[in-house]
Amino acid sequence: MRSVLAAAMAATGLALAAGGAGAAEGERVQVTGEVIDTWCYYSGVMGAPEAVVGTSHHTCALWCAAGGIPVGMLAEDGTVYMIVKWKGEAAVADNTLLTVQSHELTADGILHVRDGINYLFVEEVVADAGITNETHEDYFVVPGFAIPEPE
Amino acid sequence: MRRRVCAALGVLAVGLVLELGLVLASGVARGHDGVVHDSAAEAAAHGAGDGRIAAAPAAAGAAPAPSAGLPFPVEIAPRFALTDHTGRAVTQADFAGRPMLVFFGYANCDSICSVALPRLAEALELMGPAGAGLAPVLITIDPARDTVAALGPALARWHPRLIGLTGPEAALAEARAAFQVEVSQVAEDPAGNPIYAHGSFLYLVGPEGRVLTLMPPILGPERIAEIVAGYL
Repeated sequence: MRSVLAAAMAATGLALAAGGAGAAEGERVQVTGEVIDTWCYYSGVMGAPEAVVGTSHHTCALWCAAGGIPVGMLAEDGTVYMIVKWKGEAAVADNTLLTVQSHELTADGILHVRDGINYLFVEEVVADAGITNETHEDYFVVPGFAIPEPE
Repeated sequence: MRRRVCAALGVLAVGLVLELGLVLASGVARGHDGVVHDSAAEAAAHGAGDGRIAAAPAAAGAAPAPSAGLPFPVEIAPRFALTDHTGRAVTQADFAGRPMLVFFGYANCDSICSVALPRLAEALELMGPAGAGLAPVLITIDPARDTVAALGPALARWHPRLIGLTGPEAALAEARAAFQVEVSQVAEDPAGNPIYAHGSFLYLVGPEGRVLTLMPPILGPERIAEIVAGYL
């Protein structure tokens, strides 16, 4: 779980965005949350936020990530972190994130807040619990067309 | 449209990846829910969904304080030597004194590009005179299709001010490396054309050639306009 200090600062938002050495250098944090498809989560075009996470949305989330949609982490407190860098990778928003889409991770990294956006530079994945959010029990598959039709 | 996705939930099967283009083409490109839009404005309005996208990722509370003046923590030297959609050889030096909003993609991309480019276009409109000096630039990742002749008409679909840059693959690779953009071919469409996965952040480059911030392309045009305006 993210540190209490970090959570408090994120809650106020402006504290981190307002400037100062900490804002310029970033803040070391540990975030626990689900790797999400940020497009479907924020756009609402596929349904409510709770329906576009977890197992119900995993297939679509893979497509979105592969198509270039930036991947985020949805923390337990509801905060969303945009993943800019992935451990050891040179590229911005590296495509290896596909391998952890929908997983519940605990990640160490550096948080930079810019213009109200939480940019997370992941340095290490401390724990990977796999896909734990079994939303398909409530929502089946979202979107429904992800289900293959019989040949 | 029939889907032949040969993967169960939780499994990234080869068939799923091969179907990527079709799904994205009928998903994200059409508002990600099968709705076809006649204009960028309509698509943007549809993409606004229930309003979450307009505020994303600062989904709650008042508008965040602008972060102009804070360095963005990526080591990017935005350099390129390419050809624009009019056939003119250009480098980053040609944009000196002008802020740029740079996006990597390709004109035939039916996935993230068809999300980002309409939003970028709408943001340009929303900024009005304040954004008049901004150079919105698409650097192609598909030079085979995004030729000099093809780029102009393709980008004009989105906005008349969009500047397309193309060139030899080696020169484009250098530009991608400079911006730390990764590209990989993930599939072919039914016509045999490549479908690419690619980095999709929007890069705001200041008039002095320094990257001021990156923006995820999922932001609504209002947020893009607001953030960019905070740096101009």
